[in-house]
Amino acid sequence: MLVLSFAVSGAGNCVTVEDMPYVYARSRLGSFVLPARCPHRGGPLHLATVEPDRARLVCPWHERASSVRRALSSGVPVVRNGNRATAVFPHDAGTPHHLTHRPLSADLAGKTLEDRS
Amino acid sequence: MSNVGPYRPFELGGADLREAVKRYTSNPLYLDNEEWENDDNPYRRQLRPQVVEHLDFDRVLGRDEILDYENLAAQRILTTIYETDLVFFPKSGLSDPAKWADFTNFYSSSNRVLGEMVRPALERHVFGFLDTEVEVSGKWTKDSLEAFLRTLEDRPQEPSKPESAIRNSSDPERAARMWLIQFAPDFLSEASPMIRNALGYYGEAQSEWFKVIIDEYGYGVHDTKHSKLFERTLESVGLRTDVHHYWQYYLSSSLMMNNYFHYLGKNHELFFRYLGALYYTETTLVDFCRRADELLRHVFPGTVDTQYFTEHVHIDQHHGRMALEKIILPVVEACGEAVIPEIVRGFEEFQVIAEIADEDFARQIAWMDGGPRNKELHAPVWEAIQSGRVSAPVAHIVEPHGELSNTHCHNGDELCHIVSGTMRFVSGFNSFQILEAGEGTVINRNRLHGAIIESDECVYEIHSVGDYEKCLS
Ligand code: FES
Repeated sequence: MLVLSFAVSGAGNCVTVEDMPYVYARSRLGSFVLPARCPHRGGPLHLATVEPDRARLVCPWHERASSVRRALSSGVPVVRNGNRATAVFPHDAGTPHHLTHRPLSADLAGKTLEDRS
Repeated sequence: MSNVGPYRPFELGGADLREAVKRYTSNPLYLDNEEWENDDNPYRRQLRPQVVEHLDFDRVLGRDEILDYENLAAQRILTTIYETDLVFFPKSGLSDPAKWADFTNFYSSSNRVLGEMVRPALERHVFGFLDTEVEVSGKWTKDSLEAFLRTLEDRPQEPSKPESAIRNSSDPERAARMWLIQFAPDFLSEASPMIRNALGYYGEAQSEWFKVIIDEYGYGVHDTKHSKLFERTLESVGLRTDVHHYWQYYLSSSLMMNNYFHYLGKNHELFFRYLGALYYTETTLVDFCRRADELLRHVFPGTVDTQYFTEHVHIDQHHGRMALEKIILPVVEACGEAVIPEIVRGFEEFQVIAEIADEDFARQIAWMDGGPRNKELHAPVWEAIQSGRVSAPVAHIVEPHGELSNTHCHNGDELCHIVSGTMRFVSGFNSFQILEAGEGTVINRNRLHGAIIESDECVYEIHSVGDYEKCLS
């Protein structure tokens, strides 16, 4: 398994492993590791919105929706400590990876549940 | 079944909490001391009850407020509450009727119950910020947990901020003594929080847990018990070994490190977090002890007894691996993967607290070393106040000879100005400035300090300037 640390926001907040970019998303329903490329046509999921009345993430390109709860419970295992996220990817240890920056939509860079309550 | 009505969980807040904290801390055991140090009386701890009613414990302190006075006050109180579960005797015994009275008072049902009532609110006050600092999600499995935890084994270990602060201090011996004092609440009753988890009936991991404790306790041979080794370290550098002799010199974050384990051990719903935190400390302890041994021998060449630290290098080498392979993974096997997020959380939370403590101690050493400079800074800041360029709330104080302001800290910078008389201003163990009429000192935010009046009377002013640097322009 591949254990990687990356920033939650700011420089280096996107880690790419085997061509798939991942970011740490902080939605109003909780935080999770988000594959930043939409499985439909590769849209920028890091710019997705969260539906106001449902726990669904909506891709900005063709509005395909996916479950936030599923991402929370079944996504890549991750822990955030301050501005650092550490995730355990299923890839072999030593799989090449690199860090870049991707902007996040307001819905995904926003406050956590605790901050809002 | 007859209707018994809804279950109402225990809660204490607002004025009730304030009153309860006041009531607990006003026990004669916890009043101010007339001396800087406690003298062979483990039951006496200065909790400064005279100020608790001005503190709002009914909220969660933020990460940026965690070194404020509220935390110091709450950590002192929590240490006292947790330690009524521990047995302490004065080194001179209990034949002195005053000490016997303190002994029975400290362990009395009244003291214990009053403490228990405020404990949950105080724990939330000082540890609640961890809920926002650390967050765990995704699908954790036993394998991903193991991969995650094992990365610690390869993490390069560098000297911590306290170690650099001591090496670079203008008075390394004083700094190193202050450092050893910070460990006393933990090391003299070492492994006591851990023993809280030795009780009960929970399978094989319980016996493995017990083995770790046996190591810490020197296999029942008192001369090898770790607390005994630490006593020898203290004595070798001229420090006392009676419990909480140096109570007033503990930083809030040092108490916090120790209290964190009591908090996890006292509240068994946090048992799994303890596992994560235990793994972290056991795995990093060996390198830490190796560096501590080297540092102490560098500062006190030829005189310091460092066996406490060298012993840990030998014994604890396997504890990290034991914690993982014999305790954590079998517990996950037995309890299911639902407990993993809690283990991960404890592992990270302890690092948050350790980082706070490292930073706090390094800053305290800079503050102690900066005594002469802070005294010099009085002149320009006082000038800014006198000229009217800066206006700040002021307290006018008159105190008699021998009056001791027990140690505390402020939530912003202050200026102390002596109108008449003489004050000994204390900024840490063996660290002080003498302030005469017309003189004074800048007091930095969050820095532990106290004072004693050396003249017949002293008239002085405390100006709450907030940020002293703004007075300098
Ligand atoms: S690319 Fe995302 S919905 Fe089409």
